[in-house]
Amino acid sequence: MRRGIVLGTVVLMLLAAGVVFAETCLSPYIKGLREPEKVMYLWTLPVDGRGSDYLTVIDVHLPSPTYGTILEKVEVGSVGNEAHHMGFTDDRTKIWAASLNTSRFFIFDVRTDPMRPRLIRTIDDVPALTGLSGPHTPYAIPGRMLISMASGPEGTGPGGIAEFTNDGDVVASYKVANHPYETVVKPEFNRMLTSSWAAQKTFMSPRNTWDPKDISDTVLVWDLKARAVIQELKGEPFPLAARWALKPNATYGYTISSGGDSIWMFRMRPDGTFAYTKAASTGTGCAPGDLRQSPDDRYLYVSCIAGSEIQAWDISNPEKIRLHDTVQGMVQANMMHVTYDGWRLYFTNSAISSLDYSPRYALRLIQIGPDGRLKLDPTFVIDFSKAPDGPARPHDMLLN
Amino acid sequence: MPGSGGRRPCLGVRQLGAPTAPSARRRAWLSTLSLLLLCACLSRAATAHELKAAPAPRDLGISPAPRLPVIKRAPDFTLRDTADRPVHLSALRGRAVLLSFIYTQCSVACPLVTQRMVRLHDRLVRAGLRRTAVFLTVSVDPERDSARVLERYAAHFGGPRAGWKFLRDEPDRVRRVLEVYDEWTRPQPDGGIDHPARIYLIDPRGDIREIYSLSFFDERQAFVDIRALAREFP
Repeated sequence: MRRGIVLGTVVLMLLAAGVVFAETCLSPYIKGLREPEKVMYLWTLPVDGRGSDYLTVIDVHLPSPTYGTILEKVEVGSVGNEAHHMGFTDDRTKIWAASLNTSRFFIFDVRTDPMRPRLIRTIDDVPALTGLSGPHTPYAIPGRMLISMASGPEGTGPGGIAEFTNDGDVVASYKVANHPYETVVKPEFNRMLTSSWAAQKTFMSPRNTWDPKDISDTVLVWDLKARAVIQELKGEPFPLAARWALKPNATYGYTISSGGDSIWMFRMRPDGTFAYTKAASTGTGCAPGDLRQSPDDRYLYVSCIAGSEIQAWDISNPEKIRLHDTVQGMVQANMMHVTYDGWRLYFTNSAISSLDYSPRYALRLIQIGPDGRLKLDPTFVIDFSKAPDGPARPHDMLLN
Repeated sequence: MPGSGGRRPCLGVRQLGAPTAPSARRRAWLSTLSLLLLCACLSRAATAHELKAAPAPRDLGISPAPRLPVIKRAPDFTLRDTADRPVHLSALRGRAVLLSFIYTQCSVACPLVTQRMVRLHDRLVRAGLRRTAVFLTVSVDPERDSARVLERYAAHFGGPRAGWKFLRDEPDRVRRVLEVYDEWTRPQPDGGIDHPARIYLIDPRGDIREIYSLSFFDERQAFVDIRALAREFP
């Protein structure tokens, strides 16, 4: 009883102080984490491209004697996949890991033993099953996964969205006019937005060979239930990550334009259509790579791949966002992951093998203060340039 | 480690078959605290950082033309209703089936979704579509949810209703059904049960055509979906 009172009092004080607990940047259909993370799954590829891609399992449980170390590698048994993004299924029992280059899906069981994920299925023939290639982000809906696919079956031309059961059986695919990158859903409005980038053969080629005609600058608005595109929002090139404000019935959110060095705001009007406007410049030469949000809808975090910094934006006034803080010297900063309490931000620094310009690959941690200020944690470093089996590129992360 | 699905009993919602031991009082006290905290949290969420935009129309979230692809075959099962009669899923071919999973001591999400299913049932009756669909509600907690407890639960929501059966069986038989529907269960320290809590819409041929999240289940969309299946299978 006393323990309950103490716990309740602490939680009440945190709530009174304005603390909101919520996992961010995941599908709202996913069962949420309600306690500090214990394990990180990090989708990783060898630098030389010769070894198997693997899921790195990292101890992030602060009281653990092995905190901040790699517990194991779960190899997928094939090479050259270009490990990139992952997603939990809605019930959080499985992870879908997508491969940009080979268009494979790897499904890991994380329910049986969350500390020891197990590869349970590999789907090799995705282009034949879906007519699509270049899978980017797996996104959970009830009992199924939606995967944004960059291009047609040959790695060129427009892509679409593929729908699979959680177990890996194809349900349907939906073709679109651009190159889907990421998905965000607001269930209460039956609206889905998909951001975009380039076709598979483009993004797997050196940057200086990219044809501007193959680069998208549009975000698509969908009637989710109808699986139908109802509006196209035109902005600047490479509108990558998209985040919808978390509070229920919020009608707005943001994207980043990597080609425009900018943050864009989307806002739903009462009739269900959207306005799409430039909200801020991230500074010339930033090349935003990822966009994350705080649980209380107060801050956005932007990583600058080229600018090598991480920015915190105050979005208390959603229409007038302002730069709040930066951490600089974060070479090639890319993927980020904010914890459920909003107090920690993990980040990695490999974008994609065709774009990476620095071999100093690492997983780092930023502590976020109550004032929203960012501070690099000097004690938490996993140096992937010195990984046990050779240098490796760390990309997307999930916490459990 | 995940935990959003753990439904803690709380005061203010009628308890069915709840124990009265001291541990239950402790849970009730903690639940009261949880409810207060939840209210504080919701109150704060409703007022903090609001965008000054007009609220969207209430029916904006309803798609009039849902796409309902075949997701997979609905695994067949046989469970017993509250009168101890066997109910075979495969015997219901020719009608749509709305299949939900609950437990009666869950006092937040399960009653909420059952109430929404009541509204859906009423709407189907009013539209003359009641016979197009059968509702099946399976208890994931057969050890505590006896036939009598399930009957009382149904009565609490105005039952019994034609075309709506509450099902249970021996724990092993229920466990096998839960497994094939990916309805894993995880007992919680407070006596609650964490489970995925999905709702399945099965068409008259026996194929799963939609899976709803309990958290976002909207009976108005489910009505449109069932009506679409009725048109597809006249």
